[in-house]
Parts: sequence; C-alpha cells; structure tokens
Amino acid sequence: MRRLLIAILCVWPVSGVAGPQDLVTTALDRHILPSFQTLATEGAALADAAGADCSVEGEALVQAYHSAFDAWLGVSHLRFGPTEVDNRGFGLAFWPDPRGKTVKSLATLVRDQDPVIDQAPTFATVSVAARGFYAMERLLFEPGLLGEDAAYGCALVRAVATDIAVTTAALRDDWEDRYADTLRQPGSEGSPYATPTEGVRELFKALSTGLEFAADVRLARPLGTFERPRPRRAEARLSGRSLRQVVLSLGAMEALAAILAAEHPAVAQDLATAFAAADEAAARIDDPTLAQVADVQGRIRVEALQQRVNEVRNVVRGQLGPALGVGAGFNALDGD
Amino acid sequence: MPSRRSFLAGIAVSGLAPTLTWADAGDPRYLAAARMPDGQFRLFGLDNDVQPIFSLALPARGHAAASHPQRPEAVAFARRPGRFAVVLNCVTGRAVAELQAPEGRHFYGHGVFSTDGAVLYTTENAYDQGEGRVGLWAANDGYRRVGEIKSGGIGPHDIARLPGTETLAVANGGIDTHPDTGRQKLNIPTMQPNLCYLTGDGQIIETMQLATEHRLNSIRHLAVRADGLVAFGCQWQGDLAEVPPLLGLHKRGRPPRLLSGDPAEQAKTAGYVGSVAFSSDQRAVGVTAPRGGRSQIFDVATGALSATILSGDICGIAKGVDGFVFTTGEGLSGAPGQLVQSGTARVSWDNHLVDRQG
Repeated sequence: MRRLLIAILCVWPVSGVAGPQDLVTTALDRHILPSFQTLATEGAALADAAGADCSVEGEALVQAYHSAFDAWLGVSHLRFGPTEVDNRGFGLAFWPDPRGKTVKSLATLVRDQDPVIDQAPTFATVSVAARGFYAMERLLFEPGLLGEDAAYGCALVRAVATDIAVTTAALRDDWEDRYADTLRQPGSEGSPYATPTEGVRELFKALSTGLEFAADVRLARPLGTFERPRPRRAEARLSGRSLRQVVLSLGAMEALAAILAAEHPAVAQDLATAFAAADEAAARIDDPTLAQVADVQGRIRVEALQQRVNEVRNVVRGQLGPALGVGAGFNALDGD
Repeated sequence: MPSRRSFLAGIAVSGLAPTLTWADAGDPRYLAAARMPDGQFRLFGLDNDVQPIFSLALPARGHAAASHPQRPEAVAFARRPGRFAVVLNCVTGRAVAELQAPEGRHFYGHGVFSTDGAVLYTTENAYDQGEGRVGLWAANDGYRRVGEIKSGGIGPHDIARLPGTETLAVANGGIDTHPDTGRQKLNIPTMQPNLCYLTGDGQIIETMQLATEHRLNSIRHLAVRADGLVAFGCQWQGDLAEVPPLLGLHKRGRPPRLLSGDPAEQAKTAGYVGSVAFSSDQRAVGVTAPRGGRSQIFDVATGALSATILSGDICGIAKGVDGFVFTTGEGLSGAPGQLVQSGTARVSWDNHLVDRQG
C-alpha cells in the first residue's frame, strides 16, 4: 500500500484581502438588519391591531397577522445568534409540530382560563408551542378553539400578539446592539467568529440550512409519500399560507445568496437561474395550501418545486461554498 | 438460550464456522465507516496505524459500529434516524444478520455488547412517545430482538459499558426528533440532557444532569476509562457567543467536571464535538471538533488544555498505541504528526473511530 505522508496543517488560511468582511458587512446592512427591523415593525403593528380590535374576524387583525408572518419569512433562515437566545426563534415559530402541541397548549390555556396571559413577561414563560405566529394562526383560523368565553379569547389573542411584538423587538435590538458587532469585528473579545471567513461560513450555513428546511420540511411534510400524501401537514394551511411560506423564504434566501455570490459572477448567474426556476415552479402551483399534493397532477407540480429548490441547493453546495472557501466537510455537516 | 438445532441452523445460514475469531479477520484494532470516492459506503477494519486491513460494503451511510467481543462480527448502524443495522462477518464479508428497528422505533447509530457478547444494546427513539429506549438483541440467537428498556431520557445517542461491569452509560442528548420531521429538533426550549447509568434489565442506577446554564449542551458521545471515569462530548444548542465547555468528566457518585480551552480557543470549536476518547496512558482526554477543524487534548488530572491538533474535518478519535489516533473527513488517518492518506483513493472517514480494545 502506498502511503502519502502529509503533515498536519498547522497554519490556518488567513485571508489577507478585504473580501469576506465586505460580504458580511453588506449582508448585515442590506439584508439582516433591515429584515429584522421590518419584523419588529410588523410585530408592533400586529400588537396594535389586536389592541384595537381583538375579534378574530376582524380584517385589520388578520391583515396584520399576514404582514407580520411575511416579515418573519424574511429572517426565518437566519437561525443563529440572537434568534437562539431565550428561545426567541421557537417562541415566534414553533413548527413543525408533529405532536400537535400548539393546539393542545392553547386549548389548555383556554380550558384553565389561565391568568398567565395577563402580563407579557409571564406569558413569555408559557410553552413556546402556545406562542408566536403558528399559535396566532390557530386563534384566528380555527373556529371553536377559543371556546365560549369571549373575554378570555380576546385577552389570549392580545397576549400572543403582544408577545410577538416584544420578541421581535428584542431580536432587532439584540442584532443592532450586540450581535452585528460580533460579525463586524471577528476576533474581538466575545465574538464567536475568529476571522471574517467564519462570518461568511455562518451566513453560508444559514443559507444552506434554510434551503434544506424549505425542501425537506416545508415541502416534504405535505408531500409525504406517493402512496400517502399528507396535505394536512402543510405549514400554515389554515390561513392559506403554505405556498407563500416557501415563496417568501426563498425570496429572502435569494437576496442573501446574491450578496454572498457578489464576487463570483458565474456562480451568481447560476444561482439567479436556479432561483428563477423555483419561482416559475411555484407559480404553476394553484393551491395556496398545497392540498393538491393529494392528486397526481397537482402532486407533480409540488414535487417539481421541491426539485427546483434542491437544484438551488446543489448550486449553493457545489459552487457557492467552494467559491467562498467555506465548503463544509463530511463530518462538520453531519450533525451527529 | 437457543437450542442446539437453532444454533447450528444459524451457523448454516450465516456460513459462519464456529471457530472463527478476530484473528481470522486480520485482528483489526479499529473499525470505522467511510464514504468512498464513488459515493458508496464501506466499513473498514484498521490496524494499529489506522491503515486498512479489510473493508466491507455497507448499504448506506454508517455512523458508529459495535464489535462483538469474541466473534469477528461488527454491527454497523445506519445514521439516525435509520431503521436498520447490519451485522457483518469480518472474515467472510457476509451479513450475518440484519437488525430491523421495531414498529415505532428507530436507531440513533450506536450500540454496545455485554461483556460475554450475548446481548447487544442499541440506542433507540420511541418516537411517538418522544422517549429514549435501549433495545436488547440476542447476539447468540441470530440477533433476535428480545426486549427493550427505558434509556432514562430523550434522544439517547452513544452508549458504553463501564469496564469490568455490566453497567451501561447512556448519553441522553435530550433532543426530541420524529421521523416525520427528519432531523428537526422539536424540543430545544425544554430539552434536558443527561448521562444515565443503567443495569441491563433497565434499573436506573444514577442520572447525571448538568447545571441549568448548560441545559442546552446536548450530551452525545462517550468514552470510558478502565476505572469507570466517563468522558462525555457535547453539542451546544444555544447561542455560540456563549462559548460553552463541550467536554465533561464524570465518575459515578460525584459531580461532573467540565473542561474547556480559553474563550478564544473554545470559540473555534463552533459549539460542536464529534467524538471523544481517552489516551493510551489514560491521563489525557481528547475531543474532536470537525466544524473547527481541530482536536483538543486535555489533561485529566488538571483539566487543562494541553494540545490542539489542527486538521480539516477531523472527527474520529481513539486511543492509540501512544496517545491518540484520528481519522478525518478528508481521508487522513493515524497519529498526530503522522496523519496519512491510505492508497490513492481519498475516502471520507465518517464520524467515529471505534477502538476494539475499548
């Protein structure tokens, strides 16, 4: 057996050019911080709408719910840093929920008339399953969940909306006051990033994980298997948002991908083409709830969208990662 | 116990001659799975220098392996949430048995044998209940499923046996997953990992939990020292800016000790430890952090970081003839300073390097 002796790499590649840090700065200023600002603004508007009229039939409240959820999809792929503090990410978006905890938790609050909902700080201590956008969807779109007591139902709607406002504001503030600096100044004390490239790697990982979530969870859950499609598992189905969740999150990730690929025009072009193909595939799907996975013709279209998303993933993994020098290793990506 | 008839029938089916030993398989010191350049997966038997003696085809990506203490049989587990494991005869290369997870269960990728090799213990997810289990399989009876016990927590990952005893140590990682949602983590807000010591019949002897501020440290991988000291490697589920320790030592009946480099070094682990091992002289304990392309070696007595070894995608670590040996996803294997690529084909060594000498 031929053995090739290789010395251990004791010198880590240190980037001497300003490239990686420029990418991180651009991502912060044009993508991350504005998107979290939008989320906080929409979160506050949702609380205001619930405060003005907590009726679940109220058009203004429903509209505010949609706008705030839309804003979440602008950042739902950025699951690192502030989103991981104090369960903020889960407190806004507890999904998938294969054990139906959101409905159970909300039903328990209603049944017990639990006064925990009366104060924002105490409400933040209830199960994350009863908080955030998916809980709000149930309250607004699942008739009967709120029971007979209109006063408690109203208070619960307001509590969930207020909690969303508090959490989204905390996210924005934590990004602006703390975490952005850890990315702007890698290697500084308290920064989890030693080099600009590590910041780029974090953003790359967010992009690849977000795409994986779109294909393997948002689309795969309702698709189920050919023999057993599972349309009722589609995300945010009750409010007719299932397809919208995919489309908006892809849009946000396309923006991030474009920033990361800025110095590699060929990769940027392939990414733009792949994302455009996904948009076209999404436009051919008629049903906003993805319920068409249950019939053969409809299913083919949803599978086509999933395939286009997987093609975006291939470009990200096969071209963008190597171009940025952050292609993740076999074990580094394993997650076990 | 199997009847003589079924025992002989088992031999006939497996093609296993009763006299085969590990020596017939070339006496491999280590076992490790790898992805080949053509995308296929194989299980390797490796010598003291971590160079291949044999390799056997695997049906899919493997995770860890368990080696039978007497017979040349290796159990290769699918990566979670796999539902199968295959028992390979390392002499003939043939599958002796296939383990199929029962209805409502999937494997987590680790297993260990009882001292006499009669029982194989496997970590499993009872996913509709969201509870951990340890499956029991009769290794002398065609690896028949003979029962299960509770693992003492959620998301049991690695499992080890304290040397010279039948006491099992289980790393209950604390993370609830369900096959319907793939590898999505469902309970991070409430997760509570632990290290649980169990008897083979399911009695919980002791449960070690980390302090509340380390609740998000998922205890995943284990190494055991001859005197029963357990080393555990963690994967942090919270904000990486907190730079938590990822390695702990625990002796039954005592509080755990957490070991960490200085914050700058610790930050480079990216909150993720892939494997853990004790050194040959048992005085050092090492972890690999593939996301940081590094291994950290600590002195057991003082808890101080004594060495850092840098190599891309380093993940497998085990006791070597002298100190430690490693494998990497970039195809290198061996002792630090002597990491080599075997042959001309670059294989990607998978997560774990299993030391047959424990």
